[in-house]
Parts: sequence; structure tokens; C-alpha cells
Amino acid sequence: MKTAFRIFGVALLYMIAAAHVGSPDTWFEGKAGAYPVTVQIMPAGVVPGVARVFVRIAGDQPERVTVQANRFDATGGAPPPEVAPRVEGEAGLFAGNLWIMTGGSNSVTVEVTGARGRGSAVVPMVASATRRLEMDVPMGIGLAAMGILLFAGLVTIMGAAVRESTLPPGEAAGTASHRRARNAMLATTVVAAALVFGGWTWWNAEDEGFVDSMFKPLKSQASVRTGPSGAVLHLAIVDSPWVMRGDSAWLSRNRASAWTPLMQDHGKLMHLFLVRNDLSAFAHLHPSSVDSVSFLADLPTLPAGQYRVFADIVHESGFTQTMVSSLNLPTPAAPISKTAATGVFGVAGGVAASASGASQDDSWLAGPVDKQATTATLAGGIAVTWNRPPGPILAGVPAPLQFTVTDRDGGPAQLEQYLGMPGHSVVARDDGSVFVHLHPVGTISMASQMAFAMREPGDTVRGRLGKRIAAAAMPDMAHDSVTSNIVSFPYAFPKPGNYRVWVQVKHQGAILTAAFHATVEDGAERAR
Amino acid sequence: MVRASCQRAIENFRSANPTEFPTMAAPLTAIPGHTGRIDSASRAGTRTMAAEWPIYAIVAASTCIAVGLIWDISWHRTIGRDTFWSPPHLLEQIAAVVAGLSCAWIALRTSFGNDRVAESRSVRFWKFFHAPLGIWVCIWGTVMMITSAPFDNWWHNAYGLDVKIISPPHIILLMGMLGIQIGAMLLALAAQNRATSERDRSRLGMIFAYSAAVVVVMMTIMLMEDAGFANEMHGSGFYKATAAVLPLFLVAFARSSRLSWPATRIAACYMAIVILSIWALQLFPAQPMLAPIYNAVTSMVPHPFPLLLVFPALAFDILMRRAGATHDWLLSAALGVTFVAVMIGIHWYWAEFMLSPAARNFVFGADQWDYTERLGPWRYEYWNVDKDARGNLSVPTLAAGLGMAAIFATVGSRAGLWWGKGMSRVKR
Repeated sequence: MKTAFRIFGVALLYMIAAAHVGSPDTWFEGKAGAYPVTVQIMPAGVVPGVARVFVRIAGDQPERVTVQANRFDATGGAPPPEVAPRVEGEAGLFAGNLWIMTGGSNSVTVEVTGARGRGSAVVPMVASATRRLEMDVPMGIGLAAMGILLFAGLVTIMGAAVRESTLPPGEAAGTASHRRARNAMLATTVVAAALVFGGWTWWNAEDEGFVDSMFKPLKSQASVRTGPSGAVLHLAIVDSPWVMRGDSAWLSRNRASAWTPLMQDHGKLMHLFLVRNDLSAFAHLHPSSVDSVSFLADLPTLPAGQYRVFADIVHESGFTQTMVSSLNLPTPAAPISKTAATGVFGVAGGVAASASGASQDDSWLAGPVDKQATTATLAGGIAVTWNRPPGPILAGVPAPLQFTVTDRDGGPAQLEQYLGMPGHSVVARDDGSVFVHLHPVGTISMASQMAFAMREPGDTVRGRLGKRIAAAAMPDMAHDSVTSNIVSFPYAFPKPGNYRVWVQVKHQGAILTAAFHATVEDGAERAR
Repeated sequence: MVRASCQRAIENFRSANPTEFPTMAAPLTAIPGHTGRIDSASRAGTRTMAAEWPIYAIVAASTCIAVGLIWDISWHRTIGRDTFWSPPHLLEQIAAVVAGLSCAWIALRTSFGNDRVAESRSVRFWKFFHAPLGIWVCIWGTVMMITSAPFDNWWHNAYGLDVKIISPPHIILLMGMLGIQIGAMLLALAAQNRATSERDRSRLGMIFAYSAAVVVVMMTIMLMEDAGFANEMHGSGFYKATAAVLPLFLVAFARSSRLSWPATRIAACYMAIVILSIWALQLFPAQPMLAPIYNAVTSMVPHPFPLLLVFPALAFDILMRRAGATHDWLLSAALGVTFVAVMIGIHWYWAEFMLSPAARNFVFGADQWDYTERLGPWRYEYWNVDKDARGNLSVPTLAAGLGMAAIFATVGSRAGLWWGKGMSRVKR
């Protein structure tokens, strides 16, 4: 029955994707040598499978763009790069295909050669099976018809073999031959039916095995505890392969892979987001680790209700994942302050780390959002304007996520680096099926990019690379000022629906969060 | 287009050889007898061979399929980058097209060509169609191969490119290939069984043995994952897998062949095909084109060295010659036990040689691994060894496994004797 459903079903079931939720494409914006590039990697959804790599290059056009995949632990060198040809009719767009053979932490190296010399960029990508394909109806009918023809053909051939094939040429088959042929055809029918049934069962077993092997992020549990300075959010990673990762006997017994340790991304071991189920409240927290399974963060005063918890972590292998759990927040003890101008609830932490190790980089926002508004006015008269062209936002088409931040006088606001980035953005769909944490560099984790860049053959001791990356990342973490008051995020919404987009920037030491509504319509066949 | 050019070739042939054509129109059928006179006998021989073109075409296609498959497996182990149009795939596809079109042509000629002789040497299929049995089996195989293509493509999209041989769409493909190869074998067999001169019988017998060897090559490819590498030869799994598959075919082919030492010849031919492929593949430099590369190979990775099937085959020939056509059940038990005994007697020690440095050379092609393998001591270790609770080799478990293998081989031999007996009478 299940197989019948599979054959005649038509839906492509998108399941949870690796590094983010429901948003399988990897985006990167940055430099390949002297060339500003935007890279979009569309994974196949299965491993091994062919990923499509799109490279957009602004300005004068290069002669040649190549793409090359590799895995974080490959010891035998890299395969030759593949040329990504220019896409006809689209200026500055190049597209290539890459076989991604092994799941886990992979990288795609984009190399651009032209008048401005040669330059390359490494884009980390997590490869995993993320979707199960249903067979479409015409294909199912076609295969079934061929199957019936082959079945009938086999039975006929067996009958003919027994009836006539052993007779001398010209001799007609007698009654006995006909009887034997009928018996043979009956026996063939029974045996072939048993074989078809066996194949059916086998297919089911393979399918179940595939579904089992599809990527599932580490299981986690969120709860609220009471700490010395108020409510504390406690997140525990409860997945057995993580808890038991030091026990090689347990791992081999359970055929589990040994996770590499976590490493800091933007100076934090975990970026945790609370999103109220109705999208009306949001928090970006950075729990500190008590031990390798428990993470604690001071809980901001958020409205009571049901929340989705998304926790981004990066492994030393460069593997990134978003753990998903849920949390029911009780009515806060202290009332929430309200800012009059926009009806948006209060802003930013800005307090020194408390006993539980709450980070001064934590920030949150609660309140309704005007669905038409493209400008959000925040504390201190700072305004964030979404520079979106008129017309609908289409799924699968690069989205215009560009924001201008102006000060009280309408002039450009002087922004500062917030966690090493000019800005952060979080995109969530109202049903929780899409969640992604974006930066101006895209969806990638800077730490995993550094892991590929800084890996050395001697990195056999777990944790060593992570320490080096953390040390190297420190200078970037300084509160440098940002040259522009415009922040943009390369991204395409994966499917139609109602989304909330939060944009976070830092101004005069305060973290500002703006919220926007986005209605995304169906983009025909992910046209580009 | 291919059909058109085939027809053109046949028309050309027909105008160039007007006297040959009547025999050609009755393919696979006319093996004229001796007249007693040497000159006419040699003329008859030439004519017979011309009449046998479909046999040669389909046996050649069968060979190309097996060679293409060995090449394709090597391609996946060495280069990795794969398309529908990769050279080994093209070889297989061209072979399937040649076999399919040849067979379709013959089926149509025989069904609608008003050739009484050809029709008398064919079997009926769905009332209106007539063709020799081998042709129908071949056509069935071609349709099976065609069906597997979209299914396999869907499978790769749904579950990822399978890096294993045994998957449902691959089994359909392999059954299709096997259909073409068994069809080729049946064509040669029917011609052998109809042959009236010793010379024709012997020649067609050799073609039959060769086409049977190609089938054995296919079966060992299907066994490659369970019984391909020397590392597996100290575990009962190896003997169970070989016993479950090979005696059926070797015994059936030996019984239906009219040559002396048939099983030995077929096994030797199988070994020769695989050894030649090993030598040929290693000559071609190649590099992996996909990541991750854990083993930077520099030339095509060859197939594992063939199983030493000539030894159990020799024992089969001796036993079957002694036993004659009676006491098939007893003979099956003898064949089954002998198969497992000879296999383990030879391969237990052969494995030690193949895992030693002496085999790591061009001739034996040992110790050559896929670009995706992380090389480690496992290369020189035995896999799937029958172990006790403490992890040591357990002789009772091994013996029980071998006993099971002997049962498999006995059942296979019995089925082979029955199938071979049927095939030995095939005349159409």
C-alpha cells in the first residue's frame, strides 16, 4: 500500500535540511580574488547527487569560472575543477554541475580567471539526504505497463520453450507438449510473481533505509529554569551519538559516526533563536556551555506562549546544523517595556554578563508587525528601510534583502560590527518549516569556511583546529565600524508563504532589531 | 537510422551473394549436412557460417555487454564521473541495440517472411509471431534493459547514485543483460543440436561454450560484492555465495554442451576473459574526477582476479562423465559436495597468495582499490571471517557454513542437471 502510494504520489516531500531548516540552498557572497561573487549551491537532496552551482559576477566579465568539490577529510587530493559555462541571456551568471559523492561537510571552491587575475573562494556546504522523491503518475503507469509486458513475455517464452523448442524442425507439438507447456507457464507465473513480490519488499526495505539515513539534526530539549538572576533558558543536546561520542565502543556498536567537537562561530559556540509560533516575538541568544551537552542563557522577558527554538552549531569538521526544539514560556515576572513610536517592544541587552554567563550580544524583539511597512523605526530614532522594488517576491528567485539604516536626521547611520558582521538577518516561515540565519556573506558559517582554509594535515587531534580558528577569529571580533549603512543578504526564499524577516545591526553599542513581513509567491520553476 | 543502415548492409550483402541469401533468410536454422564430397562439404561449411550471422552478431553483443560492464565497474572505481554517455555505457547500449535490432529483424522475417524452413525452426509467440527461442529470450532481455533505464534514473534521483551493484533497478538491468546473453547461448545451442556434421557441431559447440562463459562472467560480476575479493575467501559467506549461483550454471552448461571437458573449457574461458580485462584495464592511465579522493589511483582499477573455477569445473567434468545421465540426485549431491570441497581446498590457499606481496603486480592486479577507499590494513586482512564470541576463528561456524554451501551447491547442481537436460534438446 505504501509503495502504491509512492508510485502514484506526486509530491516532492521536502524534509528538514542540514544547516538550516527547510532552506537547502547554500549562499555565499564575497570575493574570489578581485572579483565580487555571489555563489548559490542547489544540492540534489540526495547523496551521491549532482549539485547545481550558480556563480554571479558583477562588473567586467571573467574569461573562465570553474567549480570544484571536495570533502573536509579527503587525503588523496582534489579532482580537476569543472568549467562552469556562462548562462546565455543572463549577464554575469555562470552555472556548473558538481557531483557530491559523500554526505557531511563538503566544500565548493569557485575559481575565477580574467583580466583582474585569478582568484578563488571556498564555500562550505553540508551535503545530506533531505528529501524523498515520489514517482509521478505517467512514469508509474509506464513502468507498470512495461512490467506487465515483460511478465507476460516471460511466461510466453517459458511456455514456448517447453512446448516447441525441443521438437525437431517442422514437427507439430502434440497434446502432451501443450499440457507440459501449460504447467510450465503456470509454474513460471508463480515463480515470477514471487520474484516480483520479493522485489517489492526489497524496494520497501531500501526506501525505509533511505528515510532512516536522511539527515536529522541532533535532538535537543529546551526548558526554563530559575537562576540566581532570574529565568534561565536551558538547552540540552540529548542525542545519544553526541552524548556517547567519546565512547568508541558504543559508537561502533550502534554504527554511529563520531561527531567532531563544536567550535565557535562569530565568537559563540551556539547561536540560539527563539521564535514565537505566531512570529510575534524573537530572540537571538548565545548560551554558554556548562558542559558539552548543556547550554544556558539568561532568558529575556518575552511574552508568554509557545516558541520554536533553533540552535545553530558548527562542528570542527565544518559541518553546521540547526537543532530544533520547542519551548512553552510562562508569563514573565517583569513587565515588558514598550516603545511608543512603532509599537515594537524594547531592545537590546547591553548589560554585563550575569552569573549564568548571559552574553551582552543577546538581543530580542516582540510585538506586532505592520505587513505593509517597509520602514521600521527603532529606539533612538534609528530607521531601517527595506529597499524592495515594487512587485511580488518570488520563491526560488534571488530576493532583494537589502536594508538601509538611517539615523534620527535621516542621514546614514554609523553601524558597527555585530558579532563580526555588519548585520544579521533571520528568516522564518509562519509554520516553522523554514528557518535560516543569514549574514552579508550568505548562509555559510564563517567558522566552517575558516576550517577549510586553515586545516592542516596534522589536525588529527580533535579540538586543535577549533582553537586555532577561535584565536585567528579574535581580531575580526573587534568592534570595528562598518563602512556602509546599507546591509544586504544574498538569499532566495525556498517556497511560497508568509515569512518574517528580522534584521539586526549595531549602532552606538546597542543592538537594533527590525522586523518585516514578506509574502512570497510561487516563482515559476525557480526561474533565473 | 540504425535499422536503415542494417537493412542497407543486408541488401548489399544479398546482391553480392545471391546464392547465400536463401540460407540467410533462414538464419540459425540451416546447417546442411555432409554430402560426403570434400569440396561440397567445404562449400556447405562456408554457407553454414554465413547463415549463422545472427549467432555471431548476438554473441558479439553479449561479449560487449560483459566487457562494458567490467569497464563500467572499473570506471566507477577509478574515475567516478558518470553520465548516460560514458564510453562503457555506450558500449553496452550499442551492444543492446545490435542484439535487439538483429533479433527484431529475424523475428519479423520469420513471422512474416513466408519462409517455411525458418518457420519450421522457430517457436510461436502470441499466435502471430515466430522466431527461434534464443531470439525471444534476447528480445525479452533487450526490453528488460530498456525498462531498467528510466527506473534506474528515477532511483538515482530518489535515493542517490548507488555505488553498489545490487539494487532493484540494477537487478532488472542485469537480468536484461543476462537475457541477451542466455539468448545468444540458446541460439548457439540450437544450432549445435541441429548440426549434422561433426565439424559444424564442434564449431558451434565452441561458440556455445564461449557464450556460456560470458554468462558465467556476468554471474561472477553479480557475486563481486560477496565473493569477489581474496579477502573474503576465508569466510563461509564466500562459499555460500559461490555455491548458490555457480554450480547451477556450470552444470547446466556442461550437460547441454557436446564438447569434451565442457565445464573446464567454459571455466577457462571465463577466467581468460576476466584476466584479459585485468591486463587491458591496467594499461590505461586514469585519474579520479570526483571528490573526495582518498586513494589517488593513476590507472584504471581492474576487476578482482577471477575465481579459480577451472578446478571445480574439472571435477564436475570427471564426475559427470562417470555418472552419465542416470542417478541425477546422487550426482547432484556428489557435485555439490565436490564443488565446495574443491573451492575451499583451492581458494583458502589462493587467498593467502593473493594477499601476499607476490600478487601485487600487473599479472594478478591485486591490491588495487577504488579512489573512494581509505587505504588501511584492512586490505591485507580477511573479511567476514566466521568468528566465535571471543572474536577468534570458529571452526564449527565455518564448517556449518560450508555445510550450508554444500546444500546450496547440491540444489543448484540438481536444478542445473534438469535445466541442462532440457537445453541439450533445444533445436529451435
